[in-house]
Amino acid sequence: MDGVDWGVMWYAIPYMAKGALITLEISALAMIAGCVIGGICGLLSLSDVTVVKAVVRSYVYFVRGTPALVQVFLVYFALPVIGINIPPFWGGVVALAFNAGGFIAEIVRAGLQSIDAGQTEAALAIGMTTRQRLLFVLLPQSLRRITPPLTNELITLVKGSSLLSAISIFELTRSTQVIIAQKFTPFELYALLAVFYLLIISPLSRLSEYVEAKLS
Amino acid sequence: MNDAAVAETALLEISGLSKFYSDIPVLDRVDLTVHSGEIVMIIGPSGAGKSTLLRCVNRIEQPSEGEIVVAGTRMTADRRGGRRIVERPAELAVKRRKIGMVFQRFNLFAHLSALDNVAVGPHRVLGMPLAEARARASDLLARVQLAEHAYKKPAQLSGGQQQRVAIARALAMRPVLMLFDEPTSALDPELVGEVLAVIRELAAEGMTMLVVTHEMQFAREIGTRIVLMDAGRIVESGKPAAFFQNPSHERSREFLRRVGERGA
Repeated sequence: MDGVDWGVMWYAIPYMAKGALITLEISALAMIAGCVIGGICGLLSLSDVTVVKAVVRSYVYFVRGTPALVQVFLVYFALPVIGINIPPFWGGVVALAFNAGGFIAEIVRAGLQSIDAGQTEAALAIGMTTRQRLLFVLLPQSLRRITPPLTNELITLVKGSSLLSAISIFELTRSTQVIIAQKFTPFELYALLAVFYLLIISPLSRLSEYVEAKLS
Repeated sequence: MNDAAVAETALLEISGLSKFYSDIPVLDRVDLTVHSGEIVMIIGPSGAGKSTLLRCVNRIEQPSEGEIVVAGTRMTADRRGGRRIVERPAELAVKRRKIGMVFQRFNLFAHLSALDNVAVGPHRVLGMPLAEARARASDLLARVQLAEHAYKKPAQLSGGQQQRVAIARALAMRPVLMLFDEPTSALDPELVGEVLAVIRELAAEGMTMLVVTHEMQFAREIGTRIVLMDAGRIVESGKPAAFFQNPSHERSREFLRRVGERGA
Protein backbone atom coordinates (compact mmCIF):
# COMPACT_ATOMS: atom_id res chain seq x y z
CA MET A 1 0.00 0.00 0.00
CA ASP A 2 1.21 3.46 -0.89
CA GLY A 3 2.06 5.99 1.80
CA VAL A 4 -0.12 8.89 2.62
CA ASP A 5 0.23 11.65 0.00
CA TRP A 6 -0.38 14.97 1.67
CA GLY A 7 1.06 16.76 -1.35
CA VAL A 8 -2.23 16.26 -3.19
CA MET A 9 -3.74 18.85 -0.84
CA TRP A 10 -1.97 21.67 -2.62
CA TYR A 11 -3.55 20.55 -5.84
CA ALA A 12 -6.99 20.18 -4.26
CA ILE A 13 -7.25 23.30 -2.14
CA PRO A 14 -8.07 25.80 -4.92
CA TYR A 15 -10.84 23.56 -6.28
CA MET A 16 -12.20 22.90 -2.83
CA ALA A 17 -12.14 26.59 -1.99
CA LYS A 18 -14.41 27.22 -4.97
CA GLY A 19 -16.72 24.49 -3.69
CA ALA A 20 -16.60 25.98 -0.23
CA LEU A 21 -17.71 29.30 -1.65
CA ILE A 22 -20.76 27.65 -3.22
CA THR A 23 -21.49 25.91 0.10
CA LEU A 24 -21.31 29.26 1.85
CA GLU A 25 -23.56 30.96 -0.69
CA ILE A 26 -26.18 28.24 -0.66
CA SER A 27 -26.09 27.98 3.14
CA ALA A 28 -26.42 31.72 3.66
CA LEU A 29 -29.36 32.02 1.26
CA ALA A 30 -31.05 28.94 2.73
CA MET A 31 -30.55 30.30 6.26
CA ILE A 32 -32.29 33.53 5.39
CA ALA A 33 -35.13 31.80 3.56
CA GLY A 34 -35.37 29.10 6.25
CA CYS A 35 -35.61 31.69 9.02
CA VAL A 36 -38.34 33.55 7.13
CA ILE A 37 -40.30 30.34 6.46
CA GLY A 38 -39.71 29.06 9.99
CA GLY A 39 -40.58 32.37 11.62
CA ILE A 40 -43.83 32.71 9.71
CA CYS A 41 -44.81 29.06 10.20
CA GLY A 42 -43.89 29.24 13.89
CA LEU A 43 -46.24 32.18 14.37
CA LEU A 44 -48.94 30.56 12.24
CA SER A 45 -48.80 27.34 14.27
CA LEU A 46 -50.21 29.39 17.18
CA SER A 47 -53.04 30.69 15.01
CA ASP A 48 -56.64 30.26 16.09
CA VAL A 49 -57.57 29.19 12.58
CA THR A 50 -57.68 25.39 12.54
CA VAL A 51 -56.92 25.03 8.84
CA VAL A 52 -53.81 27.23 9.03
CA LYS A 53 -52.59 25.30 12.04
CA ALA A 54 -53.21 21.97 10.31
CA VAL A 55 -51.24 23.00 7.21
CA VAL A 56 -48.25 24.10 9.31
CA ARG A 57 -48.42 20.96 11.45
CA SER A 58 -48.40 18.75 8.33
CA TYR A 59 -45.41 20.61 6.92
CA VAL A 60 -43.46 20.21 10.15
CA TYR A 61 -44.56 16.57 10.41
CA PHE A 62 -43.27 15.89 6.91
CA VAL A 63 -39.94 17.66 7.38
CA ARG A 64 -39.26 15.94 10.69
CA GLY A 65 -40.40 12.53 9.53
CA THR A 66 -38.45 12.18 6.28
CA PRO A 67 -34.68 12.08 5.66
CA ALA A 68 -33.18 15.35 4.45
CA LEU A 69 -31.67 13.50 1.48
CA VAL A 70 -35.12 12.35 0.39
CA GLN A 71 -36.36 15.95 0.68
CA VAL A 72 -33.46 17.12 -1.49
CA PHE A 73 -34.32 14.58 -4.19
CA LEU A 74 -38.01 15.42 -3.97
CA VAL A 75 -37.43 19.14 -4.45
CA TYR A 76 -34.90 18.54 -7.20
CA PHE A 77 -37.16 16.22 -9.17
CA ALA A 78 -40.53 17.65 -8.17
CA LEU A 79 -39.94 21.25 -9.18
CA PRO A 80 -39.55 20.48 -12.91
CA VAL A 81 -42.65 18.24 -12.78
CA ILE A 82 -44.78 21.13 -11.54
CA GLY A 83 -43.29 23.34 -14.22
CA ILE A 84 -40.66 25.19 -12.21
CA ASN A 85 -37.32 25.03 -13.94
CA ILE A 86 -34.62 26.62 -11.86
CA PRO A 87 -30.86 25.99 -11.89
CA PRO A 88 -29.64 23.23 -9.51
CA PHE A 89 -28.05 25.90 -7.30
CA TRP A 90 -31.45 27.41 -6.53
CA GLY A 91 -33.01 23.97 -6.24
CA GLY A 92 -30.45 23.31 -3.51
CA VAL A 93 -31.34 26.55 -1.73
CA VAL A 94 -35.04 25.67 -1.86
CA ALA A 95 -34.44 22.15 -0.55
CA LEU A 96 -32.32 23.29 2.39
CA ALA A 97 -34.65 26.19 3.24
CA PHE A 98 -37.64 23.85 3.08
CA ASN A 99 -35.95 21.49 5.52
CA ALA A 100 -34.63 24.14 7.92
CA GLY A 101 -37.94 26.05 7.82
CA GLY A 102 -39.78 23.09 9.32
CA PHE A 103 -37.36 22.75 12.20
CA ILE A 104 -37.17 26.48 12.80
CA ALA A 105 -40.99 26.66 12.88
CA GLU A 106 -40.91 24.17 15.77
CA ILE A 107 -38.18 26.14 17.54
CA VAL A 108 -40.14 29.39 17.22
CA ARG A 109 -43.41 27.76 18.32
CA ALA A 110 -41.79 26.17 21.37
CA GLY A 111 -40.06 29.45 22.24
CA LEU A 112 -43.28 31.43 22.10
CA GLN A 113 -45.22 28.81 24.03
CA SER A 114 -42.59 28.70 26.75
CA ILE A 115 -43.63 32.17 27.92
CA ASP A 116 -46.01 31.91 30.86
CA ALA A 117 -49.64 32.14 29.71
CA GLY A 118 -50.32 34.63 32.50
CA GLN A 119 -48.38 37.27 30.59
CA THR A 120 -50.63 36.75 27.60
CA GLU A 121 -53.65 37.30 29.83
CA ALA A 122 -52.08 40.44 31.27
CA ALA A 123 -51.39 41.71 27.75
CA LEU A 124 -55.01 41.03 26.77
CA ALA A 125 -56.25 42.76 29.91
CA ILE A 126 -54.52 46.05 29.06
CA GLY A 127 -56.03 45.90 25.59
CA MET A 128 -53.08 44.70 23.52
CA THR A 129 -53.87 43.32 20.09
CA THR A 130 -52.39 40.00 18.97
CA ARG A 131 -49.67 41.84 17.05
CA GLN A 132 -48.75 44.04 20.03
CA ARG A 133 -48.66 41.05 22.34
CA LEU A 134 -46.28 39.23 19.99
CA LEU A 135 -44.03 42.22 19.36
CA PHE A 136 -43.81 43.69 22.83
CA VAL A 137 -44.34 40.75 25.17
CA LEU A 138 -43.75 37.33 23.64
CA LEU A 139 -41.01 37.83 21.04
CA PRO A 140 -38.57 39.87 23.16
CA GLN A 141 -38.66 37.14 25.80
CA SER A 142 -38.67 34.10 23.56
CA LEU A 143 -35.79 35.38 21.40
CA ARG A 144 -33.43 34.47 24.22
CA ARG A 145 -34.81 30.94 24.37
CA ILE A 146 -34.98 30.58 20.61
CA THR A 147 -31.36 31.57 19.92
CA PRO A 148 -29.45 28.46 21.12
CA PRO A 149 -31.58 25.89 19.26
CA LEU A 150 -31.74 28.21 16.24
CA THR A 151 -27.96 28.44 15.89
CA ASN A 152 -27.81 24.67 16.27
CA GLU A 153 -30.23 24.40 13.41
CA LEU A 154 -28.18 26.75 11.25
CA ILE A 155 -25.08 24.61 11.89
CA THR A 156 -27.09 21.54 10.90
CA LEU A 157 -28.08 23.36 7.73
CA VAL A 158 -24.47 24.02 6.71
CA LYS A 159 -23.57 20.38 7.29
CA GLY A 160 -26.71 19.28 5.50
CA SER A 161 -25.64 21.21 2.41
CA SER A 162 -23.23 18.33 1.73
CA LEU A 163 -26.31 16.32 0.71
CA LEU A 164 -26.59 18.56 -2.32
CA SER A 165 -23.59 16.70 -3.74
CA ALA A 166 -26.16 14.05 -4.59
CA ILE A 167 -27.89 16.36 -7.06
CA SER A 168 -24.57 17.36 -8.67
CA ILE A 169 -24.24 20.81 -7.24
CA PHE A 170 -20.53 21.51 -7.11
CA GLU A 171 -20.46 22.55 -3.51
CA LEU A 172 -17.66 21.59 -1.15
CA THR A 173 -18.33 17.85 -0.83
CA ARG A 174 -19.04 17.30 -4.51
CA SER A 175 -15.91 19.22 -5.55
CA THR A 176 -13.85 17.07 -3.24
CA GLN A 177 -15.34 13.86 -4.59
CA VAL A 178 -14.43 14.90 -8.12
CA ILE A 179 -10.79 15.42 -7.19
CA ILE A 180 -10.74 12.12 -5.31
CA ALA A 181 -11.97 10.43 -8.46
CA GLN A 182 -9.05 11.93 -10.36
CA LYS A 183 -6.30 11.41 -7.79
CA PHE A 184 -7.44 8.30 -5.86
CA THR A 185 -6.52 9.85 -2.50
CA PRO A 186 -9.76 9.51 -0.53
CA PHE A 187 -8.24 9.54 2.96
CA GLU A 188 -6.20 12.72 2.49
CA LEU A 189 -8.95 14.65 0.80
CA TYR A 190 -11.84 13.57 3.08
CA ALA A 191 -9.63 14.61 6.00
CA LEU A 192 -9.10 17.93 4.31
CA LEU A 193 -12.83 18.17 3.63
CA ALA A 194 -13.53 17.76 7.36
CA VAL A 195 -11.11 20.60 8.08
CA PHE A 196 -12.91 22.81 5.55
CA TYR A 197 -16.28 22.19 7.24
CA LEU A 198 -14.76 22.86 10.65
CA LEU A 199 -13.42 26.18 9.38
CA ILE A 200 -16.84 27.15 8.04
CA ILE A 201 -18.78 26.05 11.11
CA SER A 202 -16.55 27.18 13.96
CA PRO A 203 -17.27 30.90 13.41
CA LEU A 204 -20.96 29.99 13.58
CA SER A 205 -20.43 28.19 16.90
CA ARG A 206 -18.47 31.16 18.19
CA LEU A 207 -21.21 33.52 17.07
CA SER A 208 -23.86 31.44 18.85
CA GLU A 209 -21.81 31.41 22.05
CA TYR A 210 -21.38 35.18 21.77
CA VAL A 211 -25.08 35.82 21.17
CA GLU A 212 -26.01 33.51 24.04
CA ALA A 213 -23.65 35.29 26.41
CA LYS A 214 -24.97 38.64 25.20
CA LEU A 215 -28.61 37.66 25.78
CA SER A 216 -28.30 36.06 29.18
CA MET B 1 -86.75 48.32 34.35
CA ASN B 2 -85.97 48.17 30.67
CA ASP B 3 -82.45 47.64 29.33
CA ALA B 4 -81.86 51.26 28.35
CA ALA B 5 -82.57 52.52 31.86
CA VAL B 6 -80.20 49.96 33.38
CA ALA B 7 -77.42 50.84 30.96
CA GLU B 8 -77.70 54.47 32.00
CA THR B 9 -77.49 53.96 35.74
CA ALA B 10 -75.25 50.90 36.05
CA LEU B 11 -71.53 50.85 35.40
CA LEU B 12 -71.53 47.09 35.03
CA GLU B 13 -74.56 45.11 34.01
CA ILE B 14 -74.31 41.33 33.81
CA SER B 15 -77.44 39.48 32.76
CA GLY B 16 -78.04 35.79 32.26
CA LEU B 17 -74.33 35.05 32.10
CA SER B 18 -73.51 31.37 31.69
CA LYS B 19 -70.27 29.62 30.90
CA PHE B 20 -70.00 25.97 30.01
CA TYR B 21 -66.91 23.82 29.78
CA SER B 22 -68.01 20.90 27.58
CA ASP B 23 -71.59 21.10 28.85
CA ILE B 24 -70.62 21.51 32.50
CA PRO B 25 -71.84 24.90 33.71
CA VAL B 26 -69.22 26.92 35.57
CA LEU B 27 -71.43 29.97 35.57
CA ASP B 28 -75.15 29.43 35.63
CA ARG B 29 -77.34 32.39 34.59
CA VAL B 30 -75.59 35.02 36.70
CA ASP B 31 -77.19 38.47 37.01
CA LEU B 32 -75.23 41.26 38.65
CA THR B 33 -75.55 45.01 38.48
CA VAL B 34 -72.77 47.21 39.84
CA HIS B 35 -73.10 50.96 40.16
CA SER B 36 -70.33 53.47 39.90
CA GLY B 37 -68.24 53.59 43.10
CA GLU B 38 -69.41 50.24 44.38
CA ILE B 39 -66.89 47.78 45.75
CA VAL B 40 -68.25 44.31 45.28
CA MET B 41 -66.49 41.54 47.16
CA ILE B 42 -67.07 38.15 45.59
CA ILE B 43 -66.57 35.30 48.01
CA GLY B 44 -67.36 31.61 48.04
CA PRO B 45 -65.81 28.15 47.94
CA SER B 46 -63.23 27.29 45.28
CA GLY B 47 -64.83 26.14 42.06
CA ALA B 48 -67.80 28.43 42.62
CA GLY B 49 -67.06 30.33 39.41
CA LYS B 50 -65.79 33.55 41.02
CA SER B 51 -62.69 33.89 38.85
CA THR B 52 -64.53 32.78 35.74
CA LEU B 53 -67.10 35.51 36.34
CA LEU B 54 -64.35 38.11 36.52
CA ARG B 55 -62.59 36.75 33.46
CA CYS B 56 -65.79 36.83 31.46
CA VAL B 57 -66.27 40.51 32.24
CA ASN B 58 -63.18 41.47 30.25
CA ARG B 59 -63.55 38.53 27.88
CA ILE B 60 -60.36 36.71 28.78
CA GLU B 61 -62.86 33.87 28.97
CA GLN B 62 -65.62 33.73 26.40
CA PRO B 63 -69.11 33.64 27.91
CA SER B 64 -71.39 30.94 26.55
CA GLU B 65 -74.61 32.88 27.11
CA GLY B 66 -75.75 36.19 28.46
CA GLU B 67 -74.77 39.81 28.14
CA ILE B 68 -72.22 42.06 29.82
CA VAL B 69 -72.31 45.84 29.48
CA VAL B 70 -69.60 48.05 30.97
CA ALA B 71 -70.12 51.82 31.00
CA GLY B 72 -72.41 51.65 28.03
CA THR B 73 -70.17 49.36 25.99
CA ARG B 74 -71.45 45.89 25.26
CA MET B 75 -68.54 43.62 26.16
CA THR B 76 -70.20 40.50 24.80
CA ALA B 77 -70.22 39.90 21.07
CA ASP B 78 -73.20 41.21 19.12
CA ARG B 79 -75.95 38.85 18.08
CA ARG B 80 -77.54 38.63 14.73
CA GLY B 81 -80.45 36.26 14.37
CA GLY B 82 -79.69 34.57 17.69
CA ARG B 83 -76.06 33.79 16.77
CA ARG B 84 -73.08 35.61 18.15
CA ILE B 85 -71.05 37.50 15.60
CA VAL B 86 -67.57 37.23 17.04
CA GLU B 87 -65.82 40.57 16.74
CA ARG B 88 -62.36 41.03 15.27
CA PRO B 89 -59.64 40.61 17.94
CA ALA B 90 -58.62 44.25 17.53
CA GLU B 91 -62.19 45.40 18.29
CA LEU B 92 -62.30 43.29 21.42
CA ALA B 93 -58.89 44.68 22.45
CA VAL B 94 -60.31 48.24 22.33
CA LYS B 95 -63.26 47.21 24.52
CA ARG B 96 -60.91 45.77 27.14
CA ARG B 97 -58.93 48.97 27.62
CA LYS B 98 -61.25 50.56 30.12
CA ILE B 99 -61.34 47.52 32.40
CA GLY B 100 -58.31 46.98 34.60
CA MET B 101 -57.44 43.52 35.86
CA VAL B 102 -55.12 42.30 38.58
CA PHE B 103 -54.24 38.62 38.68
CA GLN B 104 -53.48 36.22 41.49
CA ARG B 105 -50.00 35.54 40.12
CA PHE B 106 -49.20 39.17 39.16
CA ASN B 107 -48.33 38.24 35.55
CA LEU B 108 -45.84 41.05 35.10
CA PHE B 109 -43.93 41.19 31.81
CA ALA B 110 -40.68 39.54 32.88
CA HIS B 111 -38.40 41.39 30.44
CA LEU B 112 -39.55 44.90 31.37
CA SER B 113 -38.65 47.06 34.37
CA ALA B 114 -41.38 47.96 36.85
CA LEU B 115 -41.63 51.35 35.15
CA ASP B 116 -42.02 49.92 31.67
CA ASN B 117 -44.50 47.30 32.85
CA VAL B 118 -46.72 50.24 33.75
CA ALA B 119 -45.78 52.42 30.76
CA VAL B 120 -46.16 49.77 28.06
CA GLY B 121 -49.97 49.99 28.02
CA PRO B 122 -50.26 53.78 27.57
CA HIS B 123 -47.31 53.80 25.15
CA ARG B 124 -48.05 50.79 22.95
CA VAL B 125 -51.82 50.47 23.29
CA LEU B 126 -52.89 54.11 23.61
CA GLY B 127 -50.05 55.44 21.45
CA MET B 128 -48.83 57.90 24.05
CA PRO B 129 -45.25 59.16 23.54
CA LEU B 130 -42.81 57.10 25.59
CA ALA B 131 -41.67 59.99 27.82
CA GLU B 132 -45.25 60.86 28.68
CA ALA B 133 -46.17 57.21 29.30
CA ARG B 134 -43.16 56.83 31.60
CA ALA B 135 -44.10 59.99 33.47
CA ARG B 136 -47.57 58.57 34.06
CA ALA B 137 -46.03 55.25 35.11
CA SER B 138 -43.66 57.00 37.45
CA ASP B 139 -46.54 58.83 39.17
CA LEU B 140 -48.43 55.59 39.57
CA LEU B 141 -45.42 53.75 40.98
CA ALA B 142 -45.01 56.55 43.51
CA ARG B 143 -48.65 56.11 44.42
CA VAL B 144 -48.10 52.42 45.22
CA GLN B 145 -44.91 53.27 47.17
CA LEU B 146 -42.53 51.81 44.59
CA ALA B 147 -40.80 54.91 43.23
CA GLU B 148 -37.38 53.65 44.25
CA HIS B 149 -37.94 50.28 42.55
CA ALA B 150 -38.92 51.68 39.14
CA TYR B 151 -35.92 50.28 37.32
CA LYS B 152 -35.98 46.81 38.80
CA LYS B 153 -37.13 43.79 36.86
CA PRO B 154 -40.05 41.76 38.26
CA ALA B 155 -37.69 38.96 39.37
CA GLN B 156 -35.93 41.45 41.66
CA LEU B 157 -39.15 42.40 43.44
CA SER B 158 -41.04 40.66 46.22
CA GLY B 159 -44.49 39.26 45.54
CA GLY B 160 -46.14 42.19 47.27
CA GLN B 161 -44.11 44.66 45.23
CA GLN B 162 -44.90 42.81 42.01
CA GLN B 163 -48.59 42.90 42.78
CA ARG B 164 -48.45 46.64 43.42
CA VAL B 165 -46.70 47.11 40.06
CA ALA B 166 -49.49 45.04 38.51
CA ILE B 167 -52.09 47.33 40.07
CA ALA B 168 -50.24 50.38 38.74
CA ARG B 169 -50.07 48.75 35.30
CA ALA B 170 -53.84 48.32 35.28
CA LEU B 171 -54.45 51.87 36.53
CA ALA B 172 -52.20 53.31 33.82
CA MET B 173 -54.94 52.59 31.30
CA ARG B 174 -57.31 54.83 33.35
CA PRO B 175 -59.93 52.12 33.73
CA VAL B 176 -63.51 52.79 34.81
CA LEU B 177 -63.69 49.38 36.46
CA MET B 178 -61.06 47.30 38.25
CA LEU B 179 -61.18 43.53 38.52
CA PHE B 180 -59.10 41.86 41.24
CA ASP B 181 -58.78 38.09 40.99
CA GLU B 182 -57.59 36.88 44.41
CA PRO B 183 -54.91 39.58 44.51
CA THR B 184 -53.34 38.36 47.77
CA SER B 185 -53.71 34.58 47.47
CA ALA B 186 -50.20 34.02 46.10
CA LEU B 187 -48.50 36.24 48.67
CA ASP B 188 -46.60 35.40 51.83
CA PRO B 189 -48.75 36.42 54.79
CA GLU B 190 -46.50 39.33 55.75
CA LEU B 191 -46.86 40.87 52.26
CA VAL B 192 -50.66 40.78 52.12
CA GLY B 193 -51.06 44.03 54.05
CA GLU B 194 -49.19 46.26 51.61
CA VAL B 195 -51.33 45.11 48.68
CA LEU B 196 -54.57 45.46 50.61
CA ALA B 197 -53.48 48.99 51.59
CA VAL B 198 -53.26 49.96 47.92
CA ILE B 199 -56.69 48.50 47.18
CA ARG B 200 -58.08 50.28 50.24
CA GLU B 201 -56.71 53.56 48.93
CA LEU B 202 -58.31 52.97 45.54
CA ALA B 203 -61.58 52.28 47.30
CA ALA B 204 -61.31 55.57 49.15
CA GLU B 205 -60.86 57.34 45.82
CA GLY B 206 -64.12 55.90 44.59
CA MET B 207 -62.85 53.36 42.07
CA THR B 208 -65.48 50.81 41.09
CA MET B 209 -64.16 47.35 41.85
CA LEU B 210 -65.00 43.71 41.62
CA VAL B 211 -62.79 41.78 44.02
CA VAL B 212 -62.59 38.02 44.31
CA THR B 213 -61.06 37.37 47.70
CA HIS B 214 -60.60 34.93 50.52
CA GLU B 215 -59.71 37.73 52.96
CA MET B 216 -62.98 37.93 54.90
CA GLN B 217 -61.92 40.74 57.21
CA PHE B 218 -60.88 42.81 54.23
CA ALA B 219 -64.08 42.06 52.34
CA ARG B 220 -66.10 43.13 55.32
CA GLU B 221 -64.13 46.28 55.90
CA ILE B 222 -63.77 47.58 52.33
CA GLY B 223 -66.69 46.07 50.47
CA THR B 224 -69.86 48.02 49.89
CA ARG B 225 -71.47 44.76 48.93
CA ILE B 226 -70.75 41.09 49.47
CA VAL B 227 -71.68 38.57 46.82
CA LEU B 228 -71.50 34.91 47.75
CA MET B 229 -71.20 32.47 44.89
CA ASP B 230 -71.59 28.73 44.88
CA ALA B 231 -71.81 26.23 42.03
CA GLY B 232 -71.81 28.94 39.37
CA ARG B 233 -74.61 30.98 40.90
CA ILE B 234 -74.95 34.02 43.09
CA VAL B 235 -76.41 32.68 46.32
CA GLU B 236 -76.63 35.90 48.25
CA SER B 237 -75.82 39.54 47.74
CA GLY B 238 -76.00 42.14 50.48
CA LYS B 239 -74.40 44.81 52.65
CA PRO B 240 -71.31 43.53 54.50
CA ALA B 241 -72.61 44.08 58.02
CA ALA B 242 -75.90 42.33 57.37
CA PHE B 243 -74.27 39.57 55.36
CA PHE B 244 -71.65 38.65 57.94
CA GLN B 245 -73.93 39.03 60.97
CA ASN B 246 -77.03 37.46 59.62
CA PRO B 247 -76.70 35.72 56.26
CA SER B 248 -80.10 34.79 54.95
CA HIS B 249 -79.14 31.60 53.09
CA GLU B 250 -78.11 28.31 54.62
CA ARG B 251 -75.34 27.98 52.02
CA SER B 252 -73.89 31.35 53.13
CA ARG B 253 -74.01 30.36 56.78
CA GLU B 254 -72.26 27.10 55.99
CA PHE B 255 -69.52 28.92 54.04
CA LEU B 256 -68.94 31.46 56.80
CA ARG B 257 -68.80 28.69 59.39
CA ARG B 258 -66.18 26.90 57.33
CA VAL B 259 -63.96 29.99 56.98
CA GLY B 260 -64.51 30.80 60.67
CA GLU B 261 -66.23 34.14 60.17
CA ARG B 262 -69.67 33.37 61.52
CA GLY B 263 -70.62 36.09 63.98
CA ALA B 264 -67.00 37.24 64.22
